[in-house]
Amino acid sequence: MTSTVPSAPVLGSDDPAGASVAPVRRAPRRPVRRAAAPADSSTRGIVARADRARRSVRASLFSLNGLLLLGLIGLGLGPMLWLAKSAITPTQDTLRTPLALFPNGVDWANLSAAWNDVHISLYFGNTLILAIGAWVMQILVATTGGYVLSILRPAYGRVLEGMVLSTLFIPAVVLLVPLYLTVLHPPVIGTSLINTYWAVWLPAGANAFNILLVKRFFDALPREVFEAASTDGAGPFRMFWSMVLPMSKPILGVVSVFAVINSWKDFLWPLLVLPNPQLQPLSVRLPSIQSTTELDVFLAALAISTLIPVVLFLGFQRMFLNSAGLGGAVKG
Amino acid sequence: MTTNATGLREPHRASSPKRSPATWLRRGGLSTLVFALPLILVFGMFSWWPIVRATVMSFQQTNLVTAPTFVGWDNFVNVLHDPLLPTAVGNTVWFAVLALVFGYPLPLVMAVLMSELRRAKGFFSALVYLPVVVPPVVAVLLWKFFYDGSATGVFNTILGFVGIPPQPWLQNAGTAMPSLVLEATWAAAGGTVIIYLAALLSVPPELYDAAEVDGARVWRKIWHVTLPQLRGVLFVTLILQVIGTAQVFLEPYLFTGGGPNNSTTTILLMIYDYAFANSTGGDYGSATALSIMLAIVLAALSILYFRLTKKWSV
Amino acid sequence: MKSRSRIAFAAIATTAAIGLLAGCSTGSDASSDGKTKIVVAVDAGLEKPAKVAFQNQVKAFEKANPKITVTSREYTWTGTTFAAELAGGTLPDVFTIPFTDGKSLIQQQQIADISDLVAKLPYADKFNPNVVKNGEDADGNIEAVPIAAYGQALHYNRDLFTQAGLDPDSPPTTWAEVRADAKQIADKTGKAGYATMTQGNTGGWILTSLAYAMGGRAETGTGAKTKATVDTPEYEKALELMQDMRWKDDSMGGNFLYDWNAINQAFASGQVGMYVSGGGNYGSLVSQNQIDPKSYGETVVPLTGDDAGALGGGTLAAVSAKSTAEQQAAAVKWIDFYYMQKLFTKADAQRDAKTLAASDQPVGAPQVPVFDKATYDKTLEWTKEWINVPLDQMKPYTEQQFDQTIVPEPAKNTQELYGMLDPVVQAVLTDEHADPAKLLADAQTKIQAKLDSSK
Repeated sequence: MTSTVPSAPVLGSDDPAGASVAPVRRAPRRPVRRAAAPADSSTRGIVARADRARRSVRASLFSLNGLLLLGLIGLGLGPMLWLAKSAITPTQDTLRTPLALFPNGVDWANLSAAWNDVHISLYFGNTLILAIGAWVMQILVATTGGYVLSILRPAYGRVLEGMVLSTLFIPAVVLLVPLYLTVLHPPVIGTSLINTYWAVWLPAGANAFNILLVKRFFDALPREVFEAASTDGAGPFRMFWSMVLPMSKPILGVVSVFAVINSWKDFLWPLLVLPNPQLQPLSVRLPSIQSTTELDVFLAALAISTLIPVVLFLGFQRMFLNSAGLGGAVKG
Repeated sequence: MTTNATGLREPHRASSPKRSPATWLRRGGLSTLVFALPLILVFGMFSWWPIVRATVMSFQQTNLVTAPTFVGWDNFVNVLHDPLLPTAVGNTVWFAVLALVFGYPLPLVMAVLMSELRRAKGFFSALVYLPVVVPPVVAVLLWKFFYDGSATGVFNTILGFVGIPPQPWLQNAGTAMPSLVLEATWAAAGGTVIIYLAALLSVPPELYDAAEVDGARVWRKIWHVTLPQLRGVLFVTLILQVIGTAQVFLEPYLFTGGGPNNSTTTILLMIYDYAFANSTGGDYGSATALSIMLAIVLAALSILYFRLTKKWSV
Repeated sequence: MKSRSRIAFAAIATTAAIGLLAGCSTGSDASSDGKTKIVVAVDAGLEKPAKVAFQNQVKAFEKANPKITVTSREYTWTGTTFAAELAGGTLPDVFTIPFTDGKSLIQQQQIADISDLVAKLPYADKFNPNVVKNGEDADGNIEAVPIAAYGQALHYNRDLFTQAGLDPDSPPTTWAEVRADAKQIADKTGKAGYATMTQGNTGGWILTSLAYAMGGRAETGTGAKTKATVDTPEYEKALELMQDMRWKDDSMGGNFLYDWNAINQAFASGQVGMYVSGGGNYGSLVSQNQIDPKSYGETVVPLTGDDAGALGGGTLAAVSAKSTAEQQAAAVKWIDFYYMQKLFTKADAQRDAKTLAASDQPVGAPQVPVFDKATYDKTLEWTKEWINVPLDQMKPYTEQQFDQTIVPEPAKNTQELYGMLDPVVQAVLTDEHADPAKLLADAQTKIQAKLDSSK
């Protein structure tokens, strides 16, 4: 397994001894065991500082980065910019001259048509409701589960942890059919959960990755605080509510980001368990309405559906990117 | 070690002298159980029980109206004899290979370039991650429009600018799968870039210093310092990508429905068709049998992979 | 002690949670206060006038049948969700299914056997035999009631015809003419002259329609002795026709992955000159795809050869297998009242037409009579003033449809048969070197294996 640690210090302290290394020092050949303090790694990369001073190096770096920028904007951002443009372009223009820029003017009506006539507002609302419910479930299960496994540590905790972690190795495909049948005939509840949001919310909570993240975070919290609190007479509920939760804001942020993104992206599962069009989220509904919607209105609907995730991302960039990087590091 | 009202204990004791229910209650066992309930209930009903059920169902024939009947290995035999299976397996492997070719080295190159930036890292990171944030359904529907096979399709128009004739994209069995992979790469590369970037940024700079002392130029530094340091991340990303692409469903389903002529039918699509495409009730036994076979293959692959790479990872 | 209140709190919380989860359930009681309750299907997404009219009908029914209470549930049949609803027991007591699924459901006994109740209806023996066959079990008992039927037709775009220099009032009458006209449309207008569906089992469905129109059949025999007959000259001719249009004439446009919705959309927006689909398709084209009525034309599918016929389809009303005997009796009464009366009673026919017209739904789109031509003509006469479809433009169809034999769809594993022909059609249209004979032979083997392995 890797020894590198991400620069985002979300997992809490893992080196009580501190690990700042003096910047300019001829290090011995053996690899350093702990990561250098962030300040260092951002002042140099592969290219040596001395090399950077040379004009030819700077020029080639500049052109490479320029190429990268152009590539990212053209290929990465391009489709989305095109979507934004076409959302307010009439159908005929999009069909005949897709790359032209408003040859016949802008058609803002597409947006309102998408929102109202095609009821994007409804599906948007459904997507929100699904996301919020899934988020609540995941936070609930992850925090209580992490609390039990990491802090309360009952006798059966080991078994529980093993069973949870083992599900990480089972590909989601195995669950598809039996989960569907479970939702059709749930054991305790009796009635089918099909066409209810519970069918999406409840299984969303069974996310072993979240448990893993939260448990590791809790493991890194200092034990003395808890012991002090319990000798002061705080019960487990009190400790959970007043101490553990406030301290776990960073990891809850990560779990929340994953939860919302995954919920927004979910396609196959809501497709299966929410056959009623009135309940369907955007991801399920958009393909079905394509054939009964004018192209320009449809593209406007697509654009609206992309808006929230993009806005959320731009607003919470740091959290998103840290979580994304974290995901890789945890798996490593 | 003492325990207190919350049941907080230090190292777990294998057996205590007398664990009566009263003791358990007094030690806060009930409140612990209450905290454990969400986990147990949710995982129990929606994770562990379905997994067990999947295994059981693969040996049964389930018709939703009557009780399931035990049929032994029949489901597995039926699936293995299904003439579509070799095609689906081939397509899935082809998708995975193409996805690796397009989507594995490219993010690394981009991440390396980005790690060299001194100021605009955040901007580039956001830019590169943007396609990942777009909901996959939107991305697929958008690209489906781009892939229109006529000369006025978006991509064909662009190709026309450089003199390349219009391509059939999704309308031809040979070009359909690469088209799917192209979109899938566009949508996912950003995430991989960020992961690589995070790892790159944590390479201890002293290693580069040391390498330069030995007179290494850029390529040698990359080869001897960067890549080895990234080994762990690279290995894990590889196997995760393989496992992920083996279960690809959305792109074939929305782009081509498995066509043309089953050239984009993947294993997941087959499972879906077994279970959900028949309007009078699906063949759940075959669907679960195929899911389990896929899971076993992926597990075997992962184990083999980790064994092989144990020597090389730190 | 503190822990006791904690315990109490925990217990209450847990029970509340479980109670909340179990909270959403409305099991349909079979009867309370002596009345029989049934849940009936109503089309989803109805406009206000249609909703009001439906409620009025419910009231009228309940008045005439004081022992029955009717509640409605929005219901749309879709291929992927029907099985789920069937299994989850969430189907209404009365629901509709297409002909294609009727046989399988009856065979697997997944709908209630209401044949005794249906036999008591006064018109039980007056059904159009080709139509009612789709709702009968192996012994000829009617287990599901046909409420609408159609035959395949050739839809064409009058505007494209005019632009290409063809006479929109003289659509093609032979397959050779179809091919020639398609070529002319493609050459003169650049649009697809002829297009076909190829996905989601529709590829096989349309291919079968063409093969049937050329005298072929998909299956022979019944029950366990059913034999697939797709590896036959008629199927091959149908494929070769499409192959020629695609590769020699280039008259089929550039999209070969159409499903039912997508091709309707393409046709309605003027991208396609001609295509084969259900005879009453105009309704969907208007309500879902906003077609310009003036551009629509319809004619019969050209028939050649003995045994040629137009493939038939339609809708059945069925009763849920989970309903009690009283509910089944009430359900059949509802089916009679709501679905059947308007097919032969003046007042009901007119009321229905008025409601549809008020919601801008099409009235008068061509159908295959559920009973007989005379009854059908009478209903057209009664509802004349509300007919809002361009009947003139559909004359080539309406004047010839009764000269054609309506042939029922293949009876066994229909959807799978169609599904296994989808790749065949796709291959022919996307691979220049596809060999229709070989593709059909392979498909035949697979289909036969499927037929043999199911009951």
